[in-house]
Amino acid sequence: MELARSAEQQELADAVERFCQQQITPERLTAWGQQARGIDPAAWRAIGALGWFGLGLPESCGGSGLGLTDVGVLLQECARGLVPRSVINAIRASWALARLDADTPELSRLATGDAVVALALDEQSARQPLQYRTAIEGIGAARVRGEKWYVPNGMHADWHVVAGREGDGLSVVLVDAAPTKRRALRPFDGEEQAIIAFEGAAGRRLTPAGDGAAALHRLQREATALALAEMVGGAQAALDTTVAYVKEREQFGQKIAVFQAVQHQIADMAMSFTAAKHLAWQAITRMDAGTEDGTELDLAAAYVAPAFKRLTLAAHHLHGGAGFVVEHPLHWHSERAQALAIRYAPEAPALEAVATQLLGE
Amino acid sequence: MRYDFTPQQLAWRDEVRAFLRENITPALLDEQREAGNEGKGPLAQQFILAMRDKGLWGIAWPTEYGGLGRSAIDQWIFVDELESAGAPMLPLTVTSVAPTIMRIGSEAQKREWLPRITATEVDFAVAYSEPEAGTDMAALRTRAVLDGDEWVVNGLKMWNTMAHMATHNWVAVRTEPEAPKHKGISMLIVPMDAPGVTVQPIYVWPGLRTNALFLDNVRVPRDYLVGERGMGFYYAAMALNFERLSIGSIAMARRYFRELVALVRELVVDGEPLRRQPWVRERLARLAVDIEAARVIGLETAWQVEQGAVPAAQSSMAKVFVSELSQRIADAGSEILGLNGQLHPEEPAALLHGRLQWLYRTSPLLAFGGGTNEVQRNIIAMLGYGLPRK
Repeated sequence: MELARSAEQQELADAVERFCQQQITPERLTAWGQQARGIDPAAWRAIGALGWFGLGLPESCGGSGLGLTDVGVLLQECARGLVPRSVINAIRASWALARLDADTPELSRLATGDAVVALALDEQSARQPLQYRTAIEGIGAARVRGEKWYVPNGMHADWHVVAGREGDGLSVVLVDAAPTKRRALRPFDGEEQAIIAFEGAAGRRLTPAGDGAAALHRLQREATALALAEMVGGAQAALDTTVAYVKEREQFGQKIAVFQAVQHQIADMAMSFTAAKHLAWQAITRMDAGTEDGTELDLAAAYVAPAFKRLTLAAHHLHGGAGFVVEHPLHWHSERAQALAIRYAPEAPALEAVATQLLGE
Repeated sequence: MRYDFTPQQLAWRDEVRAFLRENITPALLDEQREAGNEGKGPLAQQFILAMRDKGLWGIAWPTEYGGLGRSAIDQWIFVDELESAGAPMLPLTVTSVAPTIMRIGSEAQKREWLPRITATEVDFAVAYSEPEAGTDMAALRTRAVLDGDEWVVNGLKMWNTMAHMATHNWVAVRTEPEAPKHKGISMLIVPMDAPGVTVQPIYVWPGLRTNALFLDNVRVPRDYLVGERGMGFYYAAMALNFERLSIGSIAMARRYFRELVALVRELVVDGEPLRRQPWVRERLARLAVDIEAARVIGLETAWQVEQGAVPAAQSSMAKVFVSELSQRIADAGSEILGLNGQLHPEEPAALLHGRLQWLYRTSPLLAFGGGTNEVQRNIIAMLGYGLPRK
């Protein structure tokens, strides 16, 4: 029994864990790294058949109608089992689209994994929505002009959820990817990313014109919450593999697990992991239930992301060279730790948000 | 929603809060500060009796002995509220010794001791440590030898806090010298007025008094050995476990932190509101994050107890996390207060009554006491993650 999970959620987690143990191996991940989506198309279809893409989408479009907490459990286990980022990002973006418009017809193809939507939000020089230079205009149907950067799944997405300025406010629209110009970016962790240029592309409105700030804010908070679940999954993997390794590895004629210096590092990793897990899940479950007091997500973001990085670096230290070779899966978690922190939970802004709660502006 | 309290738990919290509102007076808080948190002034005693009359002693007690039969989460809520309010803590007699006697004592022993504890006729100090037996408690040397119907006790106990005010001592003694060291210990009740008992004060850094306890041919009745002979190490561990729920609570340090934040919101230094200083904002934000982390670790510990688990690794985590965080709170807080942060708690000009200064000096005790944090970390690795001892 876990504080963070119900029995049903534990069943879901166990099913994902079984799949990952059978299907996601370091050899396959290495081979898939050469493929466009970072995953073999057959494996993508297998995941589609399991219903993961539709888990949080409405039943009316073929989804399972589950909530943010359940999608979080799914993504935590996906991250723990090193399911490729393209799958995780597709699930997150589909969830976000459904939250913006639960009746949008694209959802039925997204629920099966036959199509992919991407979140095109950040720009080369802007992360704050009010600083976006992408412009949305038009009575009724919208036109989008601007350039979005670092778009996950940007190269193979069928649609983009695009946020831009409209008048004094913000709007969010859905744009068909076909007529856009894309250029692949190469991040250090192998995630598929692109720069997308919108040159007057037609968009369907997902929020009222110029009145999308609140919806976009919620979208970003939920995306961050799901990223926290990913971080917890990765941190757990780093901890577990390290515990297993120190029990096996012998130096000076004994298992290194008997050394107090090693035990104390394991204990510190365990404390960081435990605190991170609960802060993340407190934020996710309260967001899901609508019982937030407004502090949980910032508190969690400020703790979980640095803790995940700290844990992976300690894991590398305790593995020594054995965990440093590219054949060992540890480095994938370490890369995700830093990539997720930079995108979803950079420490200084999270701390400043906490400070603002405590002390005002 | 396991991170949120149920309506029943919220109702319990409100009940505890109402009790605290009614019974904690400014005079009591002043007395608390002056007594160095030993909780023994007349107002504290009155407060502790009010808790008894409300049935609040019995939260950790089994129902057949008048306990409330409440859950571990309810107990956690109670401790959290009590410490948040700055109330006197329940004495170890109530939180640790009594529930142990209830579980391990013979029927006669329970009839002998429990009503006297409830009537406050009997108040225990707790004597486990010795000069050569600290975290390695099983190395203790104090001997008890049976002579007819009496135990004859000889030895020296350390850190016997409150012994100078207690009526009795709860003493770990070696009764089976031939047995392996963990299996030769028993728990013995020693009346403080028995001939051969001497208490010598030891003053420690935060300005608190503790004691050394000299036992010189002290004779106590045979049936003052509680439970089974040779099981004392495990009984002491049980008693320490009862104690841990409060040691691992962040509530006291969190109260000081809240008071600090409220003060920082008001202070102006060098013509600028202190709260605008980026380094002040960052340090306070980091502490707020860690305080919430400590709170949820404590909540999980209580939840595991409620699920029927013995949270050995978990309670060690709570202890390590809270003790080390308390040091950081005290340190950052004293620095944020600037030169005022170095004033003595008894100096009237000291902001926050010098509590952060007091916490700074107390925090080492939290880390090395109750089993040092090194051993706690070993427990986390061994019991929580199966790392081998040898």
